[in-house]
Amino acid sequence: MHRPGLPLKEELLLPTLGGKMKTVRISWAVMVGAALALSASLASAQVNSGAQTIALNANLAESLTLNLSANNVSFTLNAGSASNPGSGTVTATTTWTLGAGRNAVNVYAYFVSAAAALTDGAAGDNIPSSAFFISDNSGTAAALTNTVAFGAANAGLRLANVPITAANRSSSRTDAMTFNINLTGGTLGQLPANTYTGTLNIQAQAL
Amino acid sequence: MNNAMQLLTKFGRVAALLLAATLVAAHAHAQVRNSGASPIALNAVLSDSITLTLSGNAVNFTLTGGSPSNPGSTGITATTFWVLKPSVNSLKLYAFFSSSTAALTDGAGHNIPSADFQISANAGAFAPLTNTVAFGGANAGLLVSTVPIRGYNKAGTNSDVMTFNIDLAPIPTLPAGIYTGTLTIQAQAF
Repeated sequence: MHRPGLPLKEELLLPTLGGKMKTVRISWAVMVGAALALSASLASAQVNSGAQTIALNANLAESLTLNLSANNVSFTLNAGSASNPGSGTVTATTTWTLGAGRNAVNVYAYFVSAAAALTDGAAGDNIPSSAFFISDNSGTAAALTNTVAFGAANAGLRLANVPITAANRSSSRTDAMTFNINLTGGTLGQLPANTYTGTLNIQAQAL
Repeated sequence: MNNAMQLLTKFGRVAALLLAATLVAAHAHAQVRNSGASPIALNAVLSDSITLTLSGNAVNFTLTGGSPSNPGSTGITATTFWVLKPSVNSLKLYAFFSSSTAALTDGAGHNIPSADFQISANAGAFAPLTNTVAFGGANAGLLVSTVPIRGYNKAGTNSDVMTFNIDLAPIPTLPAGIYTGTLTIQAQAF
């Protein structure tokens, strides 16, 4: 019961014989209530917006490109000679970004005809692909006598085979090619003097 | 005789004063009548709130393998509106992914991590999502902006223009594919 003339707060703390325990309980209740109120206040101090989303779509397309350092090679031929080197080296740079299902990149050189890799035209005299040699990255020179993914039968050469793994799905390689025409085989020793022209193709394929 | 006149005069003045006082009192009693005061308890609640809207919800990227510059197809503006309590000191806008290792994925086990996803806020420098923020996965977030809340902007608005980039230089062997993901933007005041 409130005592007239005495502030309520002081009355609650006033030790009396009959109300001491009650006073202590009330004090604890006040403290707990204050703590709860403070806790609730702190919890309500943080306010979040709703989460807004942005859909992201990134397309890394497959690509396989091949560039050559040059597009012309000349040969000064000596009749019946095995060594008729080309005038310069041509470097093929192959660059790729491939899907996860790819296993290999191959680089090929080929002609569209095995019998007439180079020809003098209307005269009907030809240099076959078997007489045309390529040395790739200073390796052993090899004739274009294989049937490959492109070109004519028996008119090609695989220059490189690159296994594709998780480590090189996007990568590149270079093939430095030097050329030679061997005029010693078969009737090539009797090849008439003339100008012989042809087109060598370089192409890459991912499997 | 004179005394009688003076007495009569005084009596007349007193009578006049009494009559005037009586009239004034009667007049006043007729004009003012007050009732008792009846209180009406008023309770107005202005709830705190933060609303975030985006100008768009999709961004496309045309990727180039190994390239550090793969910009998004468009920028997105995040506009934040707020009404906050006096106890709030700051409002922050976050961008985050739920995973730092797979921010975008092709679904076949190949991922673009959040560290290679970059945001430029309000034409600032591009920054990757590599921080642990209030939302999202660990090391998968970025604090886009902070607005100090003062007395003058307890209710206010803010816009953040975000542009995006994917840096593939750290993952040059990422296989070709279509990578998808969800970037989440969210604001928090405290």
